[in-house]
Amino acid sequence: MDFEPRYTEEQQTFRTEVRDWLKDNVPDDLANPADSADTTYDDYLQYRALGRDLGEKGWLWPTAPTEYGGGGLTIDHAIVLDEELDEYSLSLPPYYDSGGRLGGASILVWGDDDQKERFLPPIFKGEVRTWQLLTEPNAGSDLAGVQISAVRDGDDYVINGQKIFVGSSHGAEQYWTITCTDPDGDRHQNLSWFIVPAETPGLTVVPMDLLIAGGEGGAGTGHKNTIFFDNVRVPASNLIGGENNGWQVATTHLELEHGSGGTIRRNRLVDRLFDYARELKRDGQPISKDPEVQELLVDVFVEAEISRLFGLRNYWMRHAHQKLAHEGPQSSYYRKTSGLRMGEAILKILGPYALTDDPKWDKSDSHMEVFQRSSIVALHPGGTAEIQKVIMSRRLGIGRQVREQAGRLA
Amino acid sequence: MDLSLTEQQELLKTTARDFMEREASKDTLLELEETESGYSDELWQKASDIGWLGMLVPEQYGGSGSSLTDAAVVYEQMGAGPLSGPFFSSGVLGALTILEAGTEEQRQRYLPSIAVGREIASLALTEPDYGWGLDSVSMRAQPTDNGYVLSGTKLFVHDAASATTLITAVRARGHEGMTLMMVDANTPGVSTRLLSGFMGWVGEVTYDSVEVSADAVLGEPGAAWQPLQRAFQKAIPILCAYQVGGSQAVFDMTLEYSRTRIQFGNPIGRFQRVQDHIVNIINHLDAARWTTYEALWKLDSDRLTANGLETSIHLAKAVTTEGYYQACNGAHEVHAGIGVMKDYGLTLHTQMSRTLYHYLGDPRFHRKRMAETLDF
Repeated sequence: MDFEPRYTEEQQTFRTEVRDWLKDNVPDDLANPADSADTTYDDYLQYRALGRDLGEKGWLWPTAPTEYGGGGLTIDHAIVLDEELDEYSLSLPPYYDSGGRLGGASILVWGDDDQKERFLPPIFKGEVRTWQLLTEPNAGSDLAGVQISAVRDGDDYVINGQKIFVGSSHGAEQYWTITCTDPDGDRHQNLSWFIVPAETPGLTVVPMDLLIAGGEGGAGTGHKNTIFFDNVRVPASNLIGGENNGWQVATTHLELEHGSGGTIRRNRLVDRLFDYARELKRDGQPISKDPEVQELLVDVFVEAEISRLFGLRNYWMRHAHQKLAHEGPQSSYYRKTSGLRMGEAILKILGPYALTDDPKWDKSDSHMEVFQRSSIVALHPGGTAEIQKVIMSRRLGIGRQVREQAGRLA
Repeated sequence: MDLSLTEQQELLKTTARDFMEREASKDTLLELEETESGYSDELWQKASDIGWLGMLVPEQYGGSGSSLTDAAVVYEQMGAGPLSGPFFSSGVLGALTILEAGTEEQRQRYLPSIAVGREIASLALTEPDYGWGLDSVSMRAQPTDNGYVLSGTKLFVHDAASATTLITAVRARGHEGMTLMMVDANTPGVSTRLLSGFMGWVGEVTYDSVEVSADAVLGEPGAAWQPLQRAFQKAIPILCAYQVGGSQAVFDMTLEYSRTRIQFGNPIGRFQRVQDHIVNIINHLDAARWTTYEALWKLDSDRLTANGLETSIHLAKAVTTEGYYQACNGAHEVHAGIGVMKDYGLTLHTQMSRTLYHYLGDPRFHRKRMAETLDF
């Protein structure tokens, strides 16, 4: 076994190239606030420009196929990129985007040749940003129950309805959405996915007022929106995976969203917490010297380590094309529930300091206060913790032979 | 990055699994549960023949000098039994302790016999003031003209009854640190007694003016604590692998039961409250597996920078010991009545998970050590 990437000489040369390029191309003044909703429009534009520059080099979606604008690089190259970007607290892509990891990956599996050629290069090159539109007011955990309707009309489909918990701040160029194309059809046999250009008439985007926005992995999500569809007309050639075949496509999408993608990133929250606990004083000594605080700090460390290892395992499984079963939802479940426990531990460790982002008194650049909120919000995106357990149970075949397979990823 | 086993390790795993199926079936293990030693001569001999006691003994001392991960792959299959007997006590902890703390002469004297199972060396460290820190060792060794006299009690000694040599931790007068003594179990004044209760093959050893010669000292007097800690570092992840194997077996039998046990007209696994327990078990199992194998990888890695090594080992032990314990609890929630019938086999694991809970430091102990290695 080998828990770390091993680099060939060629890959180390690649690292030097990446490092030099990032030094020249990452703007010095790019802010990375704890709450990504605080990212200004100017900074957002800079992140997008950086994304396009990375895309030009094939580094935005490094393992995506070159014929569709990806980098065509190996997993080890992707890791090198990830590690070097992590030095700047950046991820790939450097802004919220559901295009490459979710939409693009799904189109790669389910799109026809024409669709792959049309939709994938702009995604993989960072020319467009895509938001996923799944949840509706009456379809949360029960995604198959979406009600937004898409009705065939000549060469188009006409979409009407509402999606919530969408995207991020500062807009997107296109939407990736699941609709109901046969309201009377059998469950799981009446859904269809579309790419919807954002400038299509009839779309209205309204920001939601939430405790904080949260998402599954990737860069911070900014704020969330409601999107209303009022007779939105989309060409039939934007239907991905065939009419009423949307549940099949969804299994690919959800597999990735449920944590099967994995990650090799460190959780910086733990380092920040340790530093904070060494700095704050109580009864004349750093609180980190208090044995009870130490117990709580270790609790946080243990949870974070297990989360890291699940993410690492899934990252390897995905890239080594191992057969996935319960691992995706397990990682998601663990991250969600341990996040809540970590939030509680941090509240006990830091006291009221955990709850303030007051610039005069907070010493964590808002990270602790943001985590108090985001760890609650993180319970729902990509399926609630309870739903993750339901999926795990099916994949493991608890009470029955294994019926549900992990979604197709390639 | 590659989290799969090597081909050779897959082969080790298959061989070990086949051996367990053939030689250590549930019925055999239930019979062995009633014995003082936890093994039969026949089983011990067969396991020795396939090299299970010499895996961590270097080739020059008659073993196979396997990597820790190789040994862990085998111990995981042993844990799935769970196979009783002093395999870990002698083949892993005993061998590593002698290797780390002993002189060259002592290695040559003991290791070849341990590697073939002729000698069984168990560590007698803990005392009535139970603990795994240096301060918990207080038994005295009084120097004499040509050796030492040992008096005192060692308690909760694993595989005490089957040991031919008790590696006994003492305070030798005139030396600040801890001293290890190689005490032949047949020396006059040494007596071992198996403790009864919800634990297996754990004993009390009393030393009543036991005379040993000066060359019984393993390495240098007063200098054994550091080498012993090095032996612990390597041995602990192997014990963890054994517990991972146990947790996996508990998960497998619980999953199977959830499919076959019908109540209210349904397999009980269709009930989400039952599913919760099984999901909980596999979360403990997977956390245990990956913390354990990461620690093993760090130990075996040829480019080890020692970065986080100690923390990793403490993490693995804390998570895995807790995991095995909780996996058994979850399994009992699912199995209910049948789970406590001894011939079903679950209680073999339940008792083992309790027996190993405090061995080489309980989860709390290792969490405290983590607070030190993380430098709060």
